[in-house]
Amino acid sequence: MMKGVTLLQKKSLLGVLFVSPWFLGFIFLFAIPLYQSLVYSFNNLVVAIGGFDTEFAGLKFYEEIFYKHPTFNRLLMESIVDLVINIPSIVIFSLFAATLLNQKFRGRVLARAIFFLPVLLATNLLTIEQSSDLATVAQTVTGGVDGEGLKSSELEALMLQSGFGSGITSYITGSVNRIYEIISHSGVQILIFLAGLQSVSPSLYEAAKIEGATSYESFWKITFPMVSPLILTNIIYTVIDSYNYNKLSVLINDTAFKALDFSLSAAMSWVYFGVTSIILLILVRAVSSKVFYYD
Amino acid sequence: MKLTIRLRREKKLNRSMPVDLIVFALLACSGAFMGIPFVFMISTALKPLDEMFLFPPTFIVRTPTLDNFYDLFLIFANSWVPLSRYLFNTFFVSFLGTAGHVILASMAAYPLAKLKIPGRNFLFTLVVLSLMFASQVTSIPNYLTISWMGLLNTYWALIFPAFATSLGLFLMKQFMEQIPDSLLEAAKIDGASEYRIFWQIVMPIVRPAWLTLIIFSFKGLWGTGSGSQGASYIYSEQLKTMDYAFSQILSGGFVRSGPMAAAALIMMTVPIAIFIFTQSNVIQTMSTSGMKD
Repeated sequence: MMKGVTLLQKKSLLGVLFVSPWFLGFIFLFAIPLYQSLVYSFNNLVVAIGGFDTEFAGLKFYEEIFYKHPTFNRLLMESIVDLVINIPSIVIFSLFAATLLNQKFRGRVLARAIFFLPVLLATNLLTIEQSSDLATVAQTVTGGVDGEGLKSSELEALMLQSGFGSGITSYITGSVNRIYEIISHSGVQILIFLAGLQSVSPSLYEAAKIEGATSYESFWKITFPMVSPLILTNIIYTVIDSYNYNKLSVLINDTAFKALDFSLSAAMSWVYFGVTSIILLILVRAVSSKVFYYD
Repeated sequence: MKLTIRLRREKKLNRSMPVDLIVFALLACSGAFMGIPFVFMISTALKPLDEMFLFPPTFIVRTPTLDNFYDLFLIFANSWVPLSRYLFNTFFVSFLGTAGHVILASMAAYPLAKLKIPGRNFLFTLVVLSLMFASQVTSIPNYLTISWMGLLNTYWALIFPAFATSLGLFLMKQFMEQIPDSLLEAAKIDGASEYRIFWQIVMPIVRPAWLTLIIFSFKGLWGTGSGSQGASYIYSEQLKTMDYAFSQILSGGFVRSGPMAAAALIMMTVPIAIFIFTQSNVIQTMSTSGMKD
């Protein structure tokens, strides 16, 4: 077909061919808009005929965020703390749940569906419903469960008295208070782990069993290393998912579409983006050295 | 037969009953957490209007009735665009968007995970970074791009953005990376082309992954029409999706609470059906897929 092309080049050409449809879409629908939002964050937008003009403003909006905005700093801190606590809790819980749901028992599809319900319940129509009178009724029933039922002040006192450090105590009590939040946000992570568990070859377990491994041993020696790449996946997914429910994204959204200050909103999201990327980078560095790849 | 019985017994020996019980109890508890809102939703949809606003609210409906569903269809009976059109729009957008997203994402993920192409690490970093970015920010430039491409007020305005989402690519790449290289090499030595390796080896192995991706993608697209995107990208009534129609018609307030609960339930059923369908398929493939080495 083509002369003067080495085999290696031909192969990479195929790869490029495979990637390009997605890549084109990515450029048009993501990269260009992203670049524009960066431009907005440094410019005043002035409405003009047939669109708007930009007027260079330097770091004005970034200064405004950090020095003038009443709630941004607090919300940023809150969402970072949330993220740091939620990531390990969600990953551990979802691994635990996925291992259980992967076992053979009657009605396990149904059991999986139940754990995935919160994700489905979070569709748009339901958020509209939540803003209505019906939602207040619903919240008195469902919201009461997580609000009042699970206070962990006794646990905190107990743990502090028995000599745990205050850091770990507040982490654990924090997680206990968040149980509802954690469970309802781990639906997707459970599914990802499940898919990972299902691609582990049964012959590995068979071999381990013949060698006399207990199920505890085969969990730590087979299951855990085999799904460990997905721990990384789930950490990243948890971060992405947090954009859907944390208060900072609400603020960013409101700044753009209620206050109509697009530049400020763009600057806010770039700051947020930068901070989460740094956290993620640290986490990925820490985890990926321990990840096992089957080769 | 005898062998299987013995195996089963041995398996039981390995486990301790109390731990199993504790584990089951934990699972049941957290499952109940998840289940409660859904049960409440079903029971609300079946409540007559006078029971819906009782205080304290009844958790399980006392006098179940299908009036709410009846009312909902009555509202649609008078609408200018028939219900079937909204239904078609939703299904068309969701199915095409999901199919395209899953296929394009898998195709792009394979070279990133397993082929040596120039700049693949850079590309993947780009993907992960793009996932980190809150979608609200790009919504205005996105609108401008869609309008520039001339896609406004067509189905493609909803479908194309789904194609370009990087979440699917990210997930598929993570799963494909776990396929042992030796398997692909063996196929190559046997003379399989890359194209064939992709469709006949890689895709069947990561089947659990793309079945899962179908769920995510479908769930996202199913509710897309009533989001800020759907509402602004499409302005012809006959191209609007079902969830948009529901949300608009049902914004009537207090009186429409009944049909609203019914609509919410109807909108939930299809993603749940897809979920159960794909997940039970995963179970069937489990024994046949997997690597033999």
